[in-house]
Amino acid sequence: MRHMMKDDPTTTVGSTVNGLARLFSQPRSRLYCILPPHMLESIAQNGTPQQRSRALQTLAIDHTLRALRVAPSSAAPATRRRPGMLMLAEGQKRRTISDARHDQNLPGSVVRAEGAPPTGDPAVDEAFDGLGATYDLFWDAYDRNSIDDEGMPMDATVHFGQDYNNAFWNGERMVFGDGDGELFNRFTISIDVMGHELTHGVTEDEAQLVYFFQPGALNESMSDVFGSLVKQYMLKQRADQADWLIGVGLFTAKVNGVALRSMKAPGTAYDDPVLGKDPQPAHMITLSIPSGTTAAYTLIQASPIMPSTLLPHGWADTLGRRRAVSGTRCCAIRD
Amino acid sequence: MRITFTMEGGIAYFPGLSRPVTIDSSELLKQEASELERLVEAARFFDQPATTGPPARGAADYYQYTITVEVRGRQHTVRVTDLVEDAGLQVLLRYLRAKAKALRAAARTPPSPEHPDKPE
Repeated sequence: MRHMMKDDPTTTVGSTVNGLARLFSQPRSRLYCILPPHMLESIAQNGTPQQRSRALQTLAIDHTLRALRVAPSSAAPATRRRPGMLMLAEGQKRRTISDARHDQNLPGSVVRAEGAPPTGDPAVDEAFDGLGATYDLFWDAYDRNSIDDEGMPMDATVHFGQDYNNAFWNGERMVFGDGDGELFNRFTISIDVMGHELTHGVTEDEAQLVYFFQPGALNESMSDVFGSLVKQYMLKQRADQADWLIGVGLFTAKVNGVALRSMKAPGTAYDDPVLGKDPQPAHMITLSIPSGTTAAYTLIQASPIMPSTLLPHGWADTLGRRRAVSGTRCCAIRD
Repeated sequence: MRITFTMEGGIAYFPGLSRPVTIDSSELLKQEASELERLVEAARFFDQPATTGPPARGAADYYQYTITVEVRGRQHTVRVTDLVEDAGLQVLLRYLRAKAKALRAAARTPPSPEHPDKPE
């Protein structure tokens, strides 16, 4: 069972490339391929519905291919650099938290490293613990030694930017803003958000999904599911006890909402005068992407994040329950 | 000067935060208007490339910003992400994010007639 999901890491990427080839083979895309992106964007904003659709499609391909170009290894079989089994006998965390001091330059200065006691700064200590909890889930449940399964150091930066309402993965580290205090609290407050960001690293290591449209959405979806599993594992919850919410505690008291997303009841996480209403559809068939939107990965992940809609009878549900109840080691994708 | 500012991406999609925000300097107090002009100039906005290239492989959940500036018959659009390194663009982004936040906050508490431009 161990590392079963690594047996064929190129499958998903291969399908993506085939999909792109099919798109390009459609003659109607040809004209749009020679237009510069800004012109396509203008068409996407101002054209007829048909023009808009074609321009958006071409923009999608353009962005995807650019992403593929910066990821030359994505289509090649992954060669593992994993050390021998003996070296994996014990999972060792190597966490480092840095402080951007409200600047936007990464990584910032180191404020807590592995082995150091709590600092008293909630953002620093929550990030440290969140990295630890994420490591524990992947190690205990999947025998995975950190992000790359080779003991990769886990790095995070807190206090990023001013009033920064977000958390992201920059390809190497997790980055957290403090929130603006109006809409959002600090982004380390929610352990599943930390699990979500780190899982982006895992997904990149395993599947190298391009960060656009459906592959981007799948990437987001994996992060939501594992983000929630990190929380469930920490709380020793069964899947049916879990709230399957992402980002509980992130909203300030002013916001009418409970979380960023709900995997149990998509579309019900918030309804607020400033943020709008949670648009997450429960099924792909009801998906509607706002016109002109090119980066709503977290919206189109809708269907996969609802565990019961992707694979027969809820794989994530099965996965969570198995781990929490019986301790059976299992593997995500093929279970 | 007129600036259109759009944010996309991030860890979650919020319809209310995804709508473009338009800032017209003629509607700003004089001091803020000249400060905004200074920020645009300091960022060498009209010399900036339209995009700063894709972020690092595997990066996710960062914001993407589209900034269009129209001034004295010139117009230029720049798309950047949170990972932008140009200090001038970082400062301009910080202003635009704060301004967008203030404008959006009006949806929760409509401005009183006596103080229509009252900052938060």
